[in-house]
Amino acid sequence: MANDTTNKRKAILVTPENCIGCRACQVACKSWNQLDAIKTKNTGTYQNPPDLDADAFNIIKFIEVPSQMDPMRWLFLSRRCMHCGDAGCMTICPSPGALFRTPEGAVAFDHKKCIGCKLCSSACPFDVPRYGEDGKMSKCNLCADRMAASMTPSCVKTCPTGALKFGNRDELISAAQKEGFKTIYGEKDLDGLGTIFAFKDEPKLYGMLENPSIPTSVIFWHTYLKPLSLIGLGGVVAAAAIHYLAIGPHKEEEEKEEV
Amino acid sequence: MAEMIRKSSVDEVVNHLILAGTCILLMITGYAFLFHVEIIGALFGGFNTMKTVHNWLGVAFILSLLYSLHHYLIDALEYDADDLQWFKVAGGYLSHKVKVPPMGKYNPGQKLYYLAVVVFGMTITISGFGLWFFQSNATVMLYSHLIHNISFCVFVIAVPVHIYLGTLANPGTFQIMVNGMMPLKDAQKKHPKWIKAIGKM
Repeated sequence: MANDTTNKRKAILVTPENCIGCRACQVACKSWNQLDAIKTKNTGTYQNPPDLDADAFNIIKFIEVPSQMDPMRWLFLSRRCMHCGDAGCMTICPSPGALFRTPEGAVAFDHKKCIGCKLCSSACPFDVPRYGEDGKMSKCNLCADRMAASMTPSCVKTCPTGALKFGNRDELISAAQKEGFKTIYGEKDLDGLGTIFAFKDEPKLYGMLENPSIPTSVIFWHTYLKPLSLIGLGGVVAAAAIHYLAIGPHKEEEEKEEV
Repeated sequence: MAEMIRKSSVDEVVNHLILAGTCILLMITGYAFLFHVEIIGALFGGFNTMKTVHNWLGVAFILSLLYSLHHYLIDALEYDADDLQWFKVAGGYLSHKVKVPPMGKYNPGQKLYYLAVVVFGMTITISGFGLWFFQSNATVMLYSHLIHNISFCVFVIAVPVHIYLGTLANPGTFQIMVNGMMPLKDAQKKHPKWIKAIGKM
């Protein structure tokens, strides 16, 4: 059930080891996408806003993992839409064109075509889609408008340390592997993610899902129920036609008594 | 002119028209959502409006279905030996030579069909409300989505059979849906137990 992706697929490679938690990516994203500020409360963490939002397409997660060796260990993880090769949101969306694949392989959205049913968030393995006050979905679209003009997504453009890199997906993966990252998170999952991660530690340490997958019920619906609804209707219409021709409509018994 | 007898009250006819109309529109818009049929969306002025129409048609559908309970439910729950025999001869639909046992107002096929519509009408409506009002709960949404689509499959298979049996397969039946009347002579042959019960045999 893979949605089409091209061989020129682009991706963002996140290398958390290089991230200094400056959140310039958050600011650049807001600036380019003209997203409103969000009022938040200090809850004792630098992570702000606390989670993705209709007005925050990317955030840096601040994760504290104190240990005896390193009592001050602090991890920074840039989080946004994963731009799955096989995207659950696109599979379940009932409105044509509301979610679509860009030529670069990103999962983008058309605000006008979204009908606000919110099925996409229930089918997303990564809890990405958010809804604005109008009830419509919004999320990172990998700066589809910038990519179309051969520009780099705004978050990558502004990243001062190279923690975010943008380019051809294949090349990013092989470059990261050459640098010594054995496994690239998202290389194979869901037909390959469009946001991939080079972790030195276990992805679990960063709160990443171990085996991200589209909910079973969505796969079952897509694989069996959708075809059944068409085959079922066609089948009974054909059966009715055959019955009409082969056996024919009900006839009252000829009124022999009266003859 | 042949003497006519009223099989369905005006109340029943009107309610059945509402039930049938909403059901068919719900199925058409349902297919449009399922298979991204843009031309159907365009007829409603876009998928946004079509969603609103689909939701409120669902409300009309369930109200009409609940109202129909007092028309059909008691009949639909009563079965006798003739009904069992009816199944053995497949209602006479697979051969015109078999002898179909005497029927009451409804045959057991119709009665089971009605019960199926009630059961799956409830599941498709409750799951529809789940999708409409529990959007922030992914678990409710996924279960509702699944149940809504399973029920949809039942409807798109069962309803065309009902339409065929009520029109082409049984000439003269469609008139009952329109004005509630059927010729007494036909009723005496098709529904002898009902006609006997009302003393017109």
